[in-house]
Amino acid sequence: MNLKPTIGIETHIELNTNTKMFCRCKVVDTDEPNISLCPTCIGLPGALPVPNGKAIEYITLLSLATGCTITRKGMFHRKNYFYPDLPKNYQISQFDLPVGESGELEIILDGKKESVEIERVHMEEDTGKSTHSGTGRIDSATSTALDFNRSGVPLVEIVTKPVIQSAKEAVAYIEELRQLSIDLNISEGKLEKGNLRFDANISVAPSDSNELGTKVEIKNMNSLKSLERAIDFEISRQTKAFLDGEEIIQETRHWDEAKELTSSMRSKEGSADYRYFSDPDLPNMILSEMFIEDVKNNLPKLPSEKRNDLMNTGLDLQQANILGKSDSWIIELYFKVFDSTKEHSTTYNWITGELQGQMRKLDINFPPEWFSAELLSEIIGLIKENKISFTSGKTILSEVLQKNISVDEIASNHDLYQENNEEKIVELVKNVINDSEDVVQRIKEGEDKLVGFLVGQVIKNSGGSVNPGIAKELLTKELDL
Amino acid sequence: MELKNLSIRQLNNLFVDKKAKPSELYSDIFDASASSESLLHAHLSLFEEKNLENAKNSDKRFEKGESTGLLDGIPIAIKDNINIKGELTTCSSKMLSNYRSPYNATVIEKLNNENALYTGKTNLDEFAMGSSTENSAFGLTKNPWNTDYVPGGSSGGSAASVSARSSIGALGSDTGGSIRQPAAFCGLVGFKPTYGTVSRYGLIAFASSLDQIGPITKNVDDARIIYNAISGHDALDATSIDNNQTNIPFDKSAKIGVIKELMEDGISDESRNEVSKVLENLKKQGYQIKEVSLPLIKLSISIYYLIAPAECSANLARFDGVRYGLRVEGKTSYEMMQNTRAEGFGDEVKRRILLGTYALSAGYYDEYYGKALRARKKMIDEFSNIFNDVDYLISPTTPTAAFKAGEKTSNPLEMYMSDLCTIPANLAGLPAISIPTGLSKEKLPLGVQIMSKPLTDLSLLNFSEIIEKEVDFNTSPEGLEK
Repeated sequence: MNLKPTIGIETHIELNTNTKMFCRCKVVDTDEPNISLCPTCIGLPGALPVPNGKAIEYITLLSLATGCTITRKGMFHRKNYFYPDLPKNYQISQFDLPVGESGELEIILDGKKESVEIERVHMEEDTGKSTHSGTGRIDSATSTALDFNRSGVPLVEIVTKPVIQSAKEAVAYIEELRQLSIDLNISEGKLEKGNLRFDANISVAPSDSNELGTKVEIKNMNSLKSLERAIDFEISRQTKAFLDGEEIIQETRHWDEAKELTSSMRSKEGSADYRYFSDPDLPNMILSEMFIEDVKNNLPKLPSEKRNDLMNTGLDLQQANILGKSDSWIIELYFKVFDSTKEHSTTYNWITGELQGQMRKLDINFPPEWFSAELLSEIIGLIKENKISFTSGKTILSEVLQKNISVDEIASNHDLYQENNEEKIVELVKNVINDSEDVVQRIKEGEDKLVGFLVGQVIKNSGGSVNPGIAKELLTKELDL
Repeated sequence: MELKNLSIRQLNNLFVDKKAKPSELYSDIFDASASSESLLHAHLSLFEEKNLENAKNSDKRFEKGESTGLLDGIPIAIKDNINIKGELTTCSSKMLSNYRSPYNATVIEKLNNENALYTGKTNLDEFAMGSSTENSAFGLTKNPWNTDYVPGGSSGGSAASVSARSSIGALGSDTGGSIRQPAAFCGLVGFKPTYGTVSRYGLIAFASSLDQIGPITKNVDDARIIYNAISGHDALDATSIDNNQTNIPFDKSAKIGVIKELMEDGISDESRNEVSKVLENLKKQGYQIKEVSLPLIKLSISIYYLIAPAECSANLARFDGVRYGLRVEGKTSYEMMQNTRAEGFGDEVKRRILLGTYALSAGYYDEYYGKALRARKKMIDEFSNIFNDVDYLISPTTPTAAFKAGEKTSNPLEMYMSDLCTIPANLAGLPAISIPTGLSKEKLPLGVQIMSKPLTDLSLLNFSEIIEKEVDFNTSPEGLEK
């Protein structure tokens, strides 16, 4: 029997606002614990929450960017559960009236555009951080250290519909979402810092079935690698269970990074009843038409739009997707160089290959300030006009990344300009033919490969300034082949 | 003439005219508490020493003619669920018996700006849950009119303190009548302002959508002075509103409604008679009075006892032994939290947390909490409609005068019923005041409640002052003389 997996993903993105969601404590990036706290974010008695307008703007931005319908009258809800790092023992979140609903995100999977349906986009406050001594689990820890710097940091949660079909698609979705959050400038988008964290709901069912199988939720994933492996692991675990006729239990499972397997955390029966209710400390959040319009006007170019622009220069989807996920200066450089060279593929290769490769070698994140699109265009232009060789182009690029010096100066200093005067080359060719009687003889007897040897001789005699293509052409003519 | 018996305005005149000093009033007040506290237990903590310096500073300001207003040098008692920086704020709970707030409530900041003084923190029903101040982890408070009786609650300590003259005025909090009911039981004025006009920042929440801080005083003018000082928009409280008052008539062109449902079953003859007395009086002055019906008022206790516990079940979740307050150790974090809450909370608090948790649970939400929210909305509509017809609504404040200590502790439902008349104003966010009008046959005070539409607090106070003048109630309790 053929089985198909169905996956839904909930992603928490940490917003890069200056202050926390419901108090004006600074959002800090430090290992020093408990330095950015106030009565509100550590839940002191009597303290009250006041929403951060910037965070609401960011969440609206993400909702609009994913084509969601904006809830004009949103609500904050309390999600009740006890945990030591949740100071109020409830989390302010959103329930039936999220900021955004029913959107979609275009992703690139196997070189094709796909769309992932978004169910909702809503706001949440982050919890503090627990460090359990010993086993790392709260139930068996001998002590737990708490850091509330993160408590109250604004999060946006994006929930997909159960429409994702593979671990690869899930990864492509997260890559796209991460890029979107960076382009919208609402998050640092750093996975290694936990700026994005994801839970996946996974089920398997027979391919021909219209119904979804029993859903299992996997928590604790914060890298693309763990997301991909956890999903793959879970799909095979469920597939095996299904084929063996075992019951798949609706439960929450934990991804163990070290053991590379998922293990049961709690079953549905033991699952928390969050007792959501509207937070009486927070009035309804009214998003006016004007506010929504303002946010809309602030929307930057979205990743999908950037891809389209890049494809309009002639790049294919794969190239556009890779380049589109690069830093904005790289994309700008591409468009400028393309504008002057009109060579999409060459420009793409030079930027994503040569330029970034050289920069990695030089261990720099940005090219020096004297480096410009004009410099790169000039190099590409010289190669195209056969004035320098490809190899010389690379040499020049390497030098201009290290020294403020013109392309012409480098080419002249290193004698990189190619000889394109035909008469001179014919003379060189004739000399080589005269000096290589036996080779010429063998060529005439059918050893075509040796033409390359003669071309090499011509170039050598010219001191490297002859264009190999022209040398070969003229050789062939002179030898009457 | 003893200073402690005077009104705030009278005291201020004496201070300004240099006929008396705040420090004299201050020692007068602490003399009173020295004799009454052992009998009444109104205060949980007294600030005598700490505030002496402040009293002397008030003296100096008045000497130099630089006083900062009517509350300069006036000793005010603060209910112990309102945070004062550095002071214990216990909510009369074992849970917070060692808790000192690191910050001031907004109302305290405002009173500090006025240079008001504090007598100390007053007793209350644990976390403001109760109607008799018997649910205090630190012992009950007694009624100054007769110490066999309760002072009402939950702001019973505040009311007993003002009544016993161990403070000039007091701050209480009112979630379902916790200012008005003890004021009525102790023969005082108790005012619950329009929801949102006084910041709740720093008030330890019981039920956030209902809680409101307000004054308990000997007269309406004192209540007005304190209200003016503590009200106003606060950026730290998202439910706080601009106090843009609407003026409605309070002279005899004002239309008065008497609430039919609060003059029927469940209300004692004595309580009804007080209302009739006041109505007669108003009629004589030429006011138009009519009976109005608010059928949903009958549901207010049912609505209240779903909404308030639901909110409190979340509000009190933070008391877990992790960061502050009581901690009872356990083998794991969860066990510690469970042990702490089992030992830290009293029975009534636990009862309400359980009720609220149940009302919000999956499968029960719609039937209980959801339904209560819908009924509350309807009740608010009912009030808005009535206020198209009348300016003020009159009713008894309480179904009976104060009851004896211990009389209702074993019957929570009966205790809940004592808030029948006061709960509707909280559900609808209305300003409501209780003014003392007479005594029961046991010589215990009775009060009349007046409500008006939101943001007409000042008109309500003006109108109440007219009634106050006519009834001319003597607020000095006789109980303490015994």
